[in-house]
Amino acid sequence: MQYQSQRVAKPYFIAAIGLFVGQILFGLVMGLQYVMGDFLFPAIPFNVARMVHTNLLIVWLLFGFMGAAYYLVPEEAERELVSPKLALAMFWIFLVAGALTILGYLFVPYSSLADMTGNSILPTMGREFLEQPTITKLGIVVVALAFLFNIGATILSGRKTAVSLVLLIGLAGLAVMFLFSFYNPDNLVKDKFYWWWVVHLWVEGVWELILGSILAFVLIKTTGVDREVIEKWLYVIIAMTLITGIIGTGHHYYWIGTPAYWKWWGSIFSAMEPIPFFMMTVFAFNMVNRRRRNHPNKAAVLWALGTGVMAFLGAGVWGFLHTLAPVNYYTHGTQITAAHGHMAFYGAYVMIVLTMISYAMPMLRGREAANSNRSQVVEMWGFWLMTVSIVFITLFLTAAGILQVYLQRMSENPLPFMVVQDKLALFYWLREITGVVFLIGLVVYIASFFVGSREPEASVSPAPAEAGA
Amino acid sequence: MSQAFTKAMARNIFYGGSLFFILLFLALTFDTDSTLPSRDNHAAITEKVAMGKALWEKNDCIGCHTLLGEGAYFAPELGNVYKRFGSTDAIKAFIKGRPKNGIPGRRSMPQFNFTDEELDAIAAFLKYASEINTNNWPPNIQG
Amino acid sequence: MDMHIKTTEQPTRPAQRRYPPGDLALWIFILAELSVFAVFFSAYAFTRAQHVELFSTYQATLDCNSALANTLVLITASFFVVRAVAAIQRDRSAETVRWLWLAVLMAGLFLLIKGHEYAHHLAAGVTLSTNTFYMFYLSLTFFHFMHVILGMLVLLVLAVRTRRGHYSAAEHTDIESGASYWHMVDLVWIVLFPLVYVMR
Repeated sequence: MQYQSQRVAKPYFIAAIGLFVGQILFGLVMGLQYVMGDFLFPAIPFNVARMVHTNLLIVWLLFGFMGAAYYLVPEEAERELVSPKLALAMFWIFLVAGALTILGYLFVPYSSLADMTGNSILPTMGREFLEQPTITKLGIVVVALAFLFNIGATILSGRKTAVSLVLLIGLAGLAVMFLFSFYNPDNLVKDKFYWWWVVHLWVEGVWELILGSILAFVLIKTTGVDREVIEKWLYVIIAMTLITGIIGTGHHYYWIGTPAYWKWWGSIFSAMEPIPFFMMTVFAFNMVNRRRRNHPNKAAVLWALGTGVMAFLGAGVWGFLHTLAPVNYYTHGTQITAAHGHMAFYGAYVMIVLTMISYAMPMLRGREAANSNRSQVVEMWGFWLMTVSIVFITLFLTAAGILQVYLQRMSENPLPFMVVQDKLALFYWLREITGVVFLIGLVVYIASFFVGSREPEASVSPAPAEAGA
Repeated sequence: MSQAFTKAMARNIFYGGSLFFILLFLALTFDTDSTLPSRDNHAAITEKVAMGKALWEKNDCIGCHTLLGEGAYFAPELGNVYKRFGSTDAIKAFIKGRPKNGIPGRRSMPQFNFTDEELDAIAAFLKYASEINTNNWPPNIQG
Repeated sequence: MDMHIKTTEQPTRPAQRRYPPGDLALWIFILAELSVFAVFFSAYAFTRAQHVELFSTYQATLDCNSALANTLVLITASFFVVRAVAAIQRDRSAETVRWLWLAVLMAGLFLLIKGHEYAHHLAAGVTLSTNTFYMFYLSLTFFHFMHVILGMLVLLVLAVRTRRGHYSAAEHTDIESGASYWHMVDLVWIVLFPLVYVMR
């Protein structure tokens, strides 16, 4: 680890993993509520478990992105972070504010939470993923600005690389788009239109820039392939991301009251959104094949390759399956959506954060480059358990979704929602069991941080023949 | 001459392409905004409806239900519940009638203890939502 | 996907020039663009087949003369771009600049003529939501219109940079890249014009 201030990444990564555990626990609660409808009712109704689950996801991913930035920016900019103290202060502020918000969701009825936090002054609560009280949102803006200042000043006063610049653009975009969460008109159509400027332009827009830059960084470090090669492909990939994804926002504008032409514009452009993900997969595999060195951190390389594949499958393929308007007409708002959402988020964003943690954490804990063999083996078990679980969760939800679409939307005698849900119970149970396996995978993954820490680092094996590079 | 695939060119395509599509998206947004009045049923947004939307948000109804297909998938679509139930009275009665401790073994909706005024507002909001031009979505009355 | 940078330094005679000319990154982008237009055109053709009367009725309201003029304008611009590339290949910098500016002028003329057509539609109250034909017509032509603007800007930047001496017979990849992009824009119109304006 070249710069002392990179250390500030460590608490961010630890918090990220801790919140990840919380997210999964509440996911399991929800999964059980799907089949045992009154589980924990009325103490923790479904919507409360859900907002805890989704908000924890978003917050832990943000901790992960920030940790990733604090780690890679000093190294890329070839200078220490402008203010490690500010980074640590923001860490605690974000963590405490986040924890208080989650506790607020759990211990106070939501409408009371709204009253207590002065929501009526500027009402921004009560929308999916944006359930946070307005004051929490304002806090997020403050933390984001401090973070951008710290990272931005470091990059701009040091060596500017494509990796750090793309990361900065992605993070700045994340902050700017979040501002739309403050716009909440009475007009439901406008409300929904601009809500997607936060959600879509995040996960199918600027977050992909963050993903791309972190992936590029890890590939540069672990493969030794020339930076020029990796960075030019990074630009091509993110160009395709925004070229397809910006107008691709239209695939959320089919049925919410916006004009009909969005069915065409949204379908055509969003159909091409898998392209950058496909490119990322080829990019990752190609760079690893052309590597000039065998990096001892094999786990990190596995995570990097896995991210490419799972992001392409979850975001790209599953996204494509329901993106065209004529298909989406029947699948909109069903378990198909949930299936895609889970694999996309895991494949793209969970995995890239875990990739970065896999790469950086050994060094943050004093290793030269990687953990011991034993530790890496356990980590890879965690990788496979979680990844295969998610694939099966997605398959079960897809099956549930197909059945739901047929029974509720397509058959000659469409059945009511609740009747259909009962008929899907088998798939929900299978999903829940698989979810437990996922949790086991997560526990194994966490165990890898404690296993083999006293053993020597994994060693470097000889590099492949020069001809291949 | 070099047939280089240069980083500079890729970077320029990124900046140029992004700017191009941002502008195009803004143009389409402008057109959407101008077209909305003929589709969004805004004339129906009375104070009561606005209050209904505020209550919808304050109680996080979207946390279990979908509205125009967006939200959670635990409970039914409510964008067309006005048509499905037939009247605002039916909607109000349903919400009012939720048992405090739920229905044993079934997915349960909380009892929110709304006042009559609040129930009116929520029902009015759902009626307003059902009259938005959603390009004929959902495919049928079940949502 | 071949990831090697080819950095051949020595100038090659035209006979040894490798194809495609210009930067490879741009060709990926051009292919993506052509794919989008292709899909849009297919969507148009498919929809037209289902609404023949509607489409025919409103196609009749289009100004074919302006469109024909625009076709000639774009082809002329492409000719000028070809001359510009030929000029720089012979190290005739000043001549290259002149040809590029002429192309920019032609592009500007296209924008004026098309803009005039749009003004007419706007005055008649036609929008993207008027009917399916107009949705396609306006979408296709406006998407193309924006590409003409971008192409014009590219040629303009190339003209300025050539004037400043950035290019020579030995190194002018950018001009070939920009020329390729312009030809793509022209090609799209050559498909669009008969498809939307002429074919009934």
